[in-house]
Amino acid sequence: MATVARFSPGNQLLKSLSTADIELLAPHLMTIVLRVPRDLEQPNKKIREVYFPDTGVASVVAINPGGAEVEVGVIGCEGMSGLAVILGNEQSPHSTYVQIAGRGMRISASDLRDAMGQSCSLRSLLFRYVQTFMVQTAHTAIANARATLAQRLARWLLMAHDRVASDKLSLTHEFLSLMMGVRRAGVTEALHELAHLNLIKATRGEITVLNRRGIEKMAGSYYGAPELSIVVWWFRANRILVQFRTEFRKSDSLFHSKSLVDPCHVMAFPDGRGPNTCSRLK
Amino acid sequence: MSATGRAPKGNRLLQALPPGDWDLLAPHLVSTPLNLRDSLERLNRRIEEVCFPETGIASVVAEHPNGRSIEIGLVGCEGMTGSAVVLGSDRTPHATYMQVAGEGYRLPVARLRDVVTKSVTLHSLLLKYVQAFMVQTAHTAIANARGTLTERLARWLLMAHDRVPDDDLKLTHEFLSLMMAVRRPGVTEALQTLEDAGLIQCGRSRITVLDRKGIEKVAGAYYGIPEAEYRRLMR
Repeated sequence: MATVARFSPGNQLLKSLSTADIELLAPHLMTIVLRVPRDLEQPNKKIREVYFPDTGVASVVAINPGGAEVEVGVIGCEGMSGLAVILGNEQSPHSTYVQIAGRGMRISASDLRDAMGQSCSLRSLLFRYVQTFMVQTAHTAIANARATLAQRLARWLLMAHDRVASDKLSLTHEFLSLMMGVRRAGVTEALHELAHLNLIKATRGEITVLNRRGIEKMAGSYYGAPELSIVVWWFRANRILVQFRTEFRKSDSLFHSKSLVDPCHVMAFPDGRGPNTCSRLK
Repeated sequence: MSATGRAPKGNRLLQALPPGDWDLLAPHLVSTPLNLRDSLERLNRRIEEVCFPETGIASVVAEHPNGRSIEIGLVGCEGMTGSAVVLGSDRTPHATYMQVAGEGYRLPVARLRDVVTKSVTLHSLLLKYVQAFMVQTAHTAIANARGTLTERLARWLLMAHDRVPDDDLKLTHEFLSLMMAVRRPGVTEALQTLEDAGLIQCGRSRITVLDRKGIEKVAGAYYGIPEAEYRRLMR
């Protein structure tokens, strides 16, 4: 059945900070509710606040002057908005808004900048997160070019499912059509395809994940590589390693895919910590 | 041959460096030919060198576990390879190789890391470029989802044309088909559409840009945002 241990509660990025770094940020973090469709960033407008979701999903949407919008990435409990701020800039041409309601923490862009200016370890952690987001965007580009609509839908559902605490995703067909840059009729057809296989149940405004493994099979290799890069990044952060491995064994489906191999085997760790830690855990 | 003492020539990122930062980098830059198919980064392998092309075009290609790859971005005289290194990482699940031969500078990763810790202004300039590159990738994702093959081809030709000194692009249909993840007959048909409109001339392994404005019109909104973002960030 679908309910598996995915990300544990709370924002993983904040949880992987060192005590010193969390102390640097904590006085400026405010708990907030993320409602739909709250704007976290507007295109080409100064970014004032940066968000770390605990639950819920935000979409980063690229817009072109012809009015075409396509989602280029999602952000949930594994990450944060404000990539442009991390990279030292004030704005981006993308729009970022909440797609699935949730909760999280907020910090002003200027407080984040100050904290980054004071801590090398904070900077380096956030830069690594940017790297994982770049990989996600690249794989969105692949899926958009090559995958069938049903495969893309499956990929999207898995990415959303990874980031919410329940098997019910509050989503309309209209929203999915916008996100995937296809017509609504196409989305409806793809949803039917998945529902017909008993992988999901789609009702008005809600999609329930019934069989996650089945959806993973449908998504095939279009799902998994960016998730692997997040795992690798966690390994590097090295603080939630134990927790991750426990979950990984338990569920075998946190980032399950046929191509998924133990990140320890694909990645060498220049500082020598990762693989040793892993072998100790084994 | 190192670049000490010479002003940076063709790479706009190097040209944008304040003189102090150029002096930090120059002793470590090695001028190098970039031959067709030269591999600059390999999939999930440690990146040894970053490259600042002066001419020529490198493709960043996302490799799919099932072996099918697709281009997610171009790097030419406006940028550098090794965005992952700028972000403190040492590898990516992407591959980067030369698609149009040229020349440029190579810089060992260790030297880059070293110099970046010495100069905040240098690191901040390179991070701006990383943002510009991310926007480019995002717009590849839009074009792949929404653009017709002809629109995507027009976008690609403009991006390539931005990065070469003349109007000739040395490219095969096969390569374009790989880059755009479509079958070769589709590429041939899209090229034919542009050629019939008098916008390009196709020879064997060569495409000549005849009417850039016309190509821009075909590409429409799929071309321009990443380019504008680059200009905004680099000014």
